[in-house]
Amino acid sequence: MTGPQRSTPRRCGAGYAPIRDYAAIGDGRTVALVARDGAIDWLCLPDMDSPSVFGALLDAPHGGAFTLAPVDPSETERRYVPETNVLETTFFCGAGVVRVTDALTIPDGGLTPCRELARRIEGLSGRVAMRWAVVPRFDYGQRGPRLALRAGVPVAVDGRDAVAVCAWNAGTPRIDGPAITGQFETAQGSRGLLALAGTHQEPLVLPPREAVEHRLDATIAFWRRWTAAGWYDGPWQPAVRRSELALKLLVHAPTGAVAAAPTTSLPEELGGERNWDYRYCWIRDSAFTLDALLRLGRTETAHAFFWWFMHASNLTRPRLQVLYQLDGGRFARERQLPADGYCRSRPVRIGNGAVDQLQLDIYGDLMESAWRYHGAGHDIDRDTGRRLAEAADLVCDIWRQPDSGIWECRSGPQHYTHSKVMCWVALDRAIRLAEAGVLPARRVGRWRRQALAIREFIDRHCWEEALGSYVRFAGSRDEVDASLLLMAVMGYHDPREPRLHRTIDAVRRLLGHGAFVRRYSGGDGLSGREGAFITCSFWLVEALARTGRRDEAAVLMEALLAMANDVGLYAEEIDPSNDAFLGNFPQGLVHLSLVGAALAFAEPDAS
Amino acid sequence: MSLAAAVAGGFIGTLVLTTTLRGASELGLTRMDIPFLLGTAFSASRSRAKVIGYALHFAVGLAFSVVYYWIFLAIGRDGWVVGGLLGAVHALFAGTVLVNILLPAMHPRMGTPFSAADSAPLLEPPGFMLHNYGRATPVVTLLAHVAYGAIIGGFVHLAGTRCGPR
Repeated sequence: MTGPQRSTPRRCGAGYAPIRDYAAIGDGRTVALVARDGAIDWLCLPDMDSPSVFGALLDAPHGGAFTLAPVDPSETERRYVPETNVLETTFFCGAGVVRVTDALTIPDGGLTPCRELARRIEGLSGRVAMRWAVVPRFDYGQRGPRLALRAGVPVAVDGRDAVAVCAWNAGTPRIDGPAITGQFETAQGSRGLLALAGTHQEPLVLPPREAVEHRLDATIAFWRRWTAAGWYDGPWQPAVRRSELALKLLVHAPTGAVAAAPTTSLPEELGGERNWDYRYCWIRDSAFTLDALLRLGRTETAHAFFWWFMHASNLTRPRLQVLYQLDGGRFARERQLPADGYCRSRPVRIGNGAVDQLQLDIYGDLMESAWRYHGAGHDIDRDTGRRLAEAADLVCDIWRQPDSGIWECRSGPQHYTHSKVMCWVALDRAIRLAEAGVLPARRVGRWRRQALAIREFIDRHCWEEALGSYVRFAGSRDEVDASLLLMAVMGYHDPREPRLHRTIDAVRRLLGHGAFVRRYSGGDGLSGREGAFITCSFWLVEALARTGRRDEAAVLMEALLAMANDVGLYAEEIDPSNDAFLGNFPQGLVHLSLVGAALAFAEPDAS
Repeated sequence: MSLAAAVAGGFIGTLVLTTTLRGASELGLTRMDIPFLLGTAFSASRSRAKVIGYALHFAVGLAFSVVYYWIFLAIGRDGWVVGGLLGAVHALFAGTVLVNILLPAMHPRMGTPFSAADSAPLLEPPGFMLHNYGRATPVVTLLAHVAYGAIIGGFVHLAGTRCGPR
């Protein structure tokens, strides 16, 4: 984490801020992205997978935003209020200094808005002219709302959705074309407040100032209590703590599901077509999520997630879907929006077509999750055990099929090495759970035979001696894949196994770029080229740490931590040539892999 | 009109309703599990919750059969068609008000649209007409309740007693 840095906010000519310049705030239902210049460019209501009301992130001219900044040019410095998900942006301009505190507030016991965004503006010195504008555009910017005054409060209404803008000591709100605007001046010690109250299928609740002030303070107190309840005190604690907080933002509180990221279609290549909707819960992330939550002492959240996970997958059992909606639904039909796209990166997609793919590795993730949940001393009931056994049987039936692999390639199915490894993980964990009496044991003999067959397949068809490495898929001569690093993480080989070490070295040699690691060599059925996948870089750290190469791992870890943005967050990818963030932001898997890498150092050294 | 027949119908109707929902779950049509939903209000242990839930569900099934009986008595008509219609109304009430508003408000482990970061509920809310538990859930729930009502109405009719002039 690079820490607070004062700098001048930037936007490109088309009006897009660098992804690195965003910070995230949230309340367990939705997430807003706040740019360094104080603009809220992304907010979906009422939940993070709902359509956006502020979508300038994906369509600067038409998406809608909530801007708040000094009238004169300024520099800014940002940080999270320590140990919280509440953001502080300090504006420095010639006339003085102003601090803005942004939070999506946690409801208290009273009558609160369905969702509430609070922005407190404090004058720290001088007299600073401030200007704000709320431009709501519902349904991803496709619909402009009706603006009107209700009880003297400006509201924007669109069908069953509405937002109200309340201002106290922050100028008189005016309806100005498609916007609600205001201007005011801060003085040393002054304190203004803006609140955006949102609703969905309910009458709006217009909050009084004292209630918003109280909720904002209570929200800060809540996040501090939550952070203090964690028990991690190992190396790189600030980065791990920030990752915990980032992951908590992605937990959909009404169900316990964990979204991969709160955004859609932030591009993996600027101007390219690699733009995906990540506002779903991926089965793949489940094992990492459960492990991280349990080992960080977040037992309640881990329970909620495991319950959601077993409940959501009930509908398709024993088959699993790659991803599920945050409310547990199965459908994620992919479609394109007529939006400008971040820096003209089109298409802008909502929904995710990967939902229909066959990805064999997720069965390993399922069983690994159950194994870790059980290993942490939690009860798995007989019904769940029966369902897990059915999944293990299914793996025996389907592991020989080609699949789309961990990276959801759209170039046609292959016999991906990682997928086969995870099928072995599924059967290995099923056998262990059966031996522990959690799964019915009558089919263990078959699981053992098939697990052995998978290992034989991997060692015969997925190892390339000339390359000195396992390869991306069976029969490949020279393509490697960073997911092979998970062989070390998942315990496929003994940490001293030469093939494991040679594979780690090959991945680093062929996919590495400084501290970063790309996902794979070879094609993926899409045009263009993506950046380096930050998760893979942390997997490399963890693989090195787990195979007795801790010095190398620690150097790499430090380099990667320095690449976080000023508030400690990561996007999915990074452009190694200029350190620009790419892809959806903030991305849960990156923060999970960061936590996993840090935790690996807490375990006994394999050397 | 026989109360005993209504209660007997309620018992069989609840059996059919539970079995229909369970069968639909096994067929992958729904994740709806009424005993599980009811039982987890009292226990976080899945196994214990299901036992409690089944007991509660049968008690509620019998109680509703008495309500059906009163309605038959009040309108002076019974039979499987009237019972089936009542079952449909019952399903609409269950899918909208009962499980979508009353149950999340009273269930200590169920999320609501208002659950925020300071809570970690163990059960997802059912959503309007229970659609969160699978898109076929409203239809399955409707059919199961229609069957429940029709059985009660049929039992009362078979008991041979009618209320009011025909």
